[in-house]
Amino acid sequence: MSTAGAASTVKERADLALNDEFLRKAVKFTTERLRNGKKQASDEHGNWDDWRERGRQIRLHTIAHLDYYLNLFANQARANGVHVHFAETSAEAVKLSLEIAQRKQAKSVVKSKSMVTEELHLNHELESIGVEAIETDLGEYIIQLAGETPSHIIIPAIHKNRYQVADLLSKEAGETLAPDTSILAGFVRKKLREKFLEADIGMTGCNFAIAETGSMVLFENEGNARMVTTVPKTQITLMGMERIIPSWSDLEVMATLLPRSATGQKLTVYMSGITGPRREVDADGPDEMHIIIVDNGRSLQLGDPEFQELLNCIRCGACLNACPVYRHIGGHAYGGTYSGPIGAVLTPALNKNVAEWDDIANASSLCGACYEACPVKIPLHEMLIYLRRRKLEQGHGNAVESLGMKGFAAVMGNSKRYAGIVKLGKLGQKLVVRDGGIRLKLGPLKGWNTYRVTPSLPKKSFRDQWGTLEQELRHGLLELDPSVRSRMEGIMRDRDSGGGNGHG
Amino acid sequence: MAEQAGSHEEWLKQLAEESKRKQESFMNGIAEKLRRPRMTAAPEHPFRGAPDFWQDFEWSLEERMDRFEGNFKAAGGHVARLADMDAAKQFIAVKADELSAKYVIRQNQPELNELGLEEALQHTGATVRVWNSDADENWKARAAESDFGVVIADYAAAYTGSVTVLSSKDKGRSVSLLPTVLFVLIPLDRLKTRLGEILRNFDAAGREQLPAGIHFISGPSRSADIENDLTIGVHGPGVVYALLIG
Repeated sequence: MSTAGAASTVKERADLALNDEFLRKAVKFTTERLRNGKKQASDEHGNWDDWRERGRQIRLHTIAHLDYYLNLFANQARANGVHVHFAETSAEAVKLSLEIAQRKQAKSVVKSKSMVTEELHLNHELESIGVEAIETDLGEYIIQLAGETPSHIIIPAIHKNRYQVADLLSKEAGETLAPDTSILAGFVRKKLREKFLEADIGMTGCNFAIAETGSMVLFENEGNARMVTTVPKTQITLMGMERIIPSWSDLEVMATLLPRSATGQKLTVYMSGITGPRREVDADGPDEMHIIIVDNGRSLQLGDPEFQELLNCIRCGACLNACPVYRHIGGHAYGGTYSGPIGAVLTPALNKNVAEWDDIANASSLCGACYEACPVKIPLHEMLIYLRRRKLEQGHGNAVESLGMKGFAAVMGNSKRYAGIVKLGKLGQKLVVRDGGIRLKLGPLKGWNTYRVTPSLPKKSFRDQWGTLEQELRHGLLELDPSVRSRMEGIMRDRDSGGGNGHG
Repeated sequence: MAEQAGSHEEWLKQLAEESKRKQESFMNGIAEKLRRPRMTAAPEHPFRGAPDFWQDFEWSLEERMDRFEGNFKAAGGHVARLADMDAAKQFIAVKADELSAKYVIRQNQPELNELGLEEALQHTGATVRVWNSDADENWKARAAESDFGVVIADYAAAYTGSVTVLSSKDKGRSVSLLPTVLFVLIPLDRLKTRLGEILRNFDAAGREQLPAGIHFISGPSRSADIENDLTIGVHGPGVVYALLIG
């Protein structure tokens, strides 16, 4: 978080992002590419809303019976020979992970993409006990070298151009690498091959966990998640407690929705179902496998009618690509592990402390594009409104705004008072109106006028004109246009004779 | 941090007990938040699997082959239609010559044992190794240095252009992952239309019958992480041949 760390509010972080020309262009380009890919893939597949509805039903069903399915998963995974652990907090999950690393006397951990480990800041924790943590997803590796956090859930290094990437990788290579994507990726392949083969522990996230057979499923394109689960002797998987689906048959629905929504692919290059550690007779796969099931605020949504559906999220990133706000400010402006509309709701929801609810709920235009894009139909735009309401109810509103609202209510509640104020305004604005608009950046006008122009009050308002307008309307209605009149009468006749083209 | 005393096994056992206790409180906590008693019996799941209209969707063999080929190629893979296993052997031998392959690793499957790849590659000077055929060998390292990996698909799905490989003692996960070039032989009777036709087998088999690794592969390893520029062969094989046989 080198750039994002310095600014404390969404607005400040967004200003930083808006000043970065490349970032804005890159985010716009990438999100458009992904969005078009999704549209094409879902159109081609057909019946998209039926699939979304099915996906939603499966997720709703699983979460509504989570105690049954999670329990079944844990028992089945254990029967497969997996060491299953439960962590209520991020601190517990970190403690378990570090303990395993220490017991294994691990020197290095190779990691495939996992948002849960981002939540836990696990890389940092591993480094603190002298264990090297290496991100192996190309984009994650790049931002790890840069000392930053992901700015997009699917394309984490969306904000870096090839020259910046070449600089970072050249430093690592000890020689100058040309800013050519195939050369850069080739270097990473070679470098990380060594790391995979020498690492003591492979660490992964989990896209889905299949309750009935205790299997975990990973979607990826590069093959690094397969490496991490095939080569090292020990595997640790960190999984959000809500990642469960009942069966492999249900996986077909998720496999239909997730890749199409994320990147527009029919299926990611690799979809792997891992059921336990290597069998006694196998010559690859981990000897020892741990799955750490993490709560870290997720269970707070259970039984909450407004937010329980958050747990349906399958982490595809489609809402980011659809969001006009995300497309402008990029991921770092959200300041949490998760960005975009899902981040704006999930980050505060995972934190009990309302005071930390920040101002991200306000960084939304409530246009509902996120809901339209969501493959499991989570009503994110409505949740943003619930969040704003809760923030107010718990006394975290804006004092100036509430005062303004009270004043507004007082003025609007009485027509004489309103007329008086408008009259006063017309007089007052003479001092500040230039070219038919107000550009003054003072007091309450500062926020608005920084980017826009406030229109001046017209000489004659709608209310002033209402008397005349009303007269005209009433008069007009009496004198109905003869042709319209005869048409209306015709319709009435038709209706009597049973016509009307079946309408009504 | 826990003290390092006691054997690793003892420590794991201790963790297991802790985990089981925690599991109870975890599940009770979930039920409490959902404001109902713990669910201990399987709930009825009326929405299991794909929508009904999808369940009996099926293409003819010819169409399955066409669609598989189209999808696999669109993802950057190569497809060849071959009459029989002998043609597959010739195909691999020609490629080995073309690409000067030095090391080839293959699964230890009866069909591949009968293939005679070893003889066919003799003139190229390539060494063919058979996965897990020697208990003392480091097979992951052997796979990592291989130019070619040769596997037989357990299933394939035309709709997504995917092949499925299952792991076993004789079928290494590394063979389809670590070599630079991957050859997947697909007998036509294993080519299905939908993913669901493959996935339902794992439900039917049940936990105890499942292999440690089930992998769906839909083309060469790829990434678009640098400036959205598509790069092939990031970690897994960069060249993948799907050979439709029959």
